[in-house]
Amino acid sequence: MIRERLATAYNWFDERTAVRSLTRKGLYEAVPVRGAWFYTLGSATLILILLQLVTGIFLTMLYVPSVTEAWASLEYLKQHDAFGSIVRGIHLWSAYVLLFVIGLHMVRTFFSGSYKRPRELNWVTGVGLFVLVLGMAITGAFLPWDQAAYWTAVVVTNIPAYTPFIGSFIRALWRGGDFVGPITLVRTFGIHVWLIPAVLFPLIGAHLALLRKHGEHGSYINYRGAYRAREGVDVPPPPKQRPIEPPYPAVPSEEVWAAPLETEDFYPYQTFKDGLVSALLVVVVFILAVAIGAPLEAIADPSTTNYTPVPEWFYLPLDQLLVLVPQQLIPLILVLPAGGVVLMLLLPFIDRGPERNPFERPAVMVPGAFAVLFVVILTLLGSGRLFNQ
Amino acid sequence: MAPLDRRRLTRRQFALLGTQVAGATVAVLLGIPIIGFLISPLFRRQAVAEATVGDIADVGNRQPKKYVVEFPAGDWSSAKVKAAVYVVKLDDQTKVFSNTCTHMQCPVHWDASLNQFLCPCHGGLYAIDGSNVGGPPPKPLPEYVHRFDGTTLFVENRFTESL
Repeated sequence: MIRERLATAYNWFDERTAVRSLTRKGLYEAVPVRGAWFYTLGSATLILILLQLVTGIFLTMLYVPSVTEAWASLEYLKQHDAFGSIVRGIHLWSAYVLLFVIGLHMVRTFFSGSYKRPRELNWVTGVGLFVLVLGMAITGAFLPWDQAAYWTAVVVTNIPAYTPFIGSFIRALWRGGDFVGPITLVRTFGIHVWLIPAVLFPLIGAHLALLRKHGEHGSYINYRGAYRAREGVDVPPPPKQRPIEPPYPAVPSEEVWAAPLETEDFYPYQTFKDGLVSALLVVVVFILAVAIGAPLEAIADPSTTNYTPVPEWFYLPLDQLLVLVPQQLIPLILVLPAGGVVLMLLLPFIDRGPERNPFERPAVMVPGAFAVLFVVILTLLGSGRLFNQ
Repeated sequence: MAPLDRRRLTRRQFALLGTQVAGATVAVLLGIPIIGFLISPLFRRQAVAEATVGDIADVGNRQPKKYVVEFPAGDWSSAKVKAAVYVVKLDDQTKVFSNTCTHMQCPVHWDASLNQFLCPCHGGLYAIDGSNVGGPPPKPLPEYVHRFDGTTLFVENRFTESL
């Protein structure tokens, strides 16, 4: 009786919202069996961003974005609010893990050639998301207004000042004046909680919509050993046909690399793997949040002469460039990262051949590997400063 | 569709134009005040404030001494910000330095063993007279706008040369 009633209600709702077909479309897409564990990196990135959203929303109920109150509101957490401290700890540690996982997600996509036609814009939106996440990390680092935050704010807002002609204009726009001060904190808070998220979340929507449009099988991993995309090689056997029900939208949008050989339903098979990896990461984040927590140093003091500012680890390579680049070449600290982002955006338009095997694409793999190596070396060169205070 | 008459707007063209004008109106009306307030600090002169450093008679020759003063944080804020002042007597002249590195504005300190000002961030080095002697800083150590009343030193919250 109740069950019938519920079914009737559901039908009523479905007639008006098409919820049934939407759910089917969302859950029963065919995803490749091979490489499925690699694909958990994308969903883990999403989960960690959502973790940021949830904890960030509640942090606005704990934190006051003002130079007189910001540090005090967090110091209060430390003294009197253990749960608030955990929320802040989750926000910090999931941000750190997110930066790591989004990097792995990107490296996976790069090496497996998933950015190739017709998925160029998946990659481009992904690069945009990567840059925005870095922007979130760096603006978030300003907010506690302790010594670490203050000197990060000073150095980071000073970097654009080396842009030719309009440098000091950009710096003053961000700082709200010539020096880091009360307006800098409010502006950066606004950028962190509204401006960047207002772009970030719609872009995530676009990234996922494109993923669904082209299907989760752009990567070489799906095809490994089964097929090579070179002239004169036989066309691969057609993908195993699945029953009509549930409907699979996997329309081959390219003659070769059309679909993987073996697929299974997104739900519950891929969601199981995604859920397992994400839950594991969340557990790790929670443990770090409780065991280590988010540090809070002494309150910001511009007059200090015995404090050694240490860069956040995620912009250590850039900060190491600041050490290495001599005064005549300082604009290099802008040119190198900006050039790196431009090259990343252009990657799918430079590497356009159908070949996805990383070992058959030395023209991009070798420079790409060198770029990664360059960043790693800069990080290692600077790493001593993280521990050596 | 009727043949296109270039001299007259069709109904469709009129509607299209109207939609674009409506959209542009909204964008302009929102954009002007938002961009205006964002760039307004660039055109506001920072209110000049003066702070008393104190009597500097006891500062030894070629022995930089650090003082800390407080300035209003500026604009609407009730906050005070602390600023470091290095007073350096060089025989017959007195220099009044900030602790602000000209490279990335990190906090410079006097290192007595090096006999130089050292920036801990990226290794900038300045001689006792503030001139650049090493590392990436592009300009000498900034000096405060200051005045004396006898041996009492007063500094303003601005540098002789903008950074």
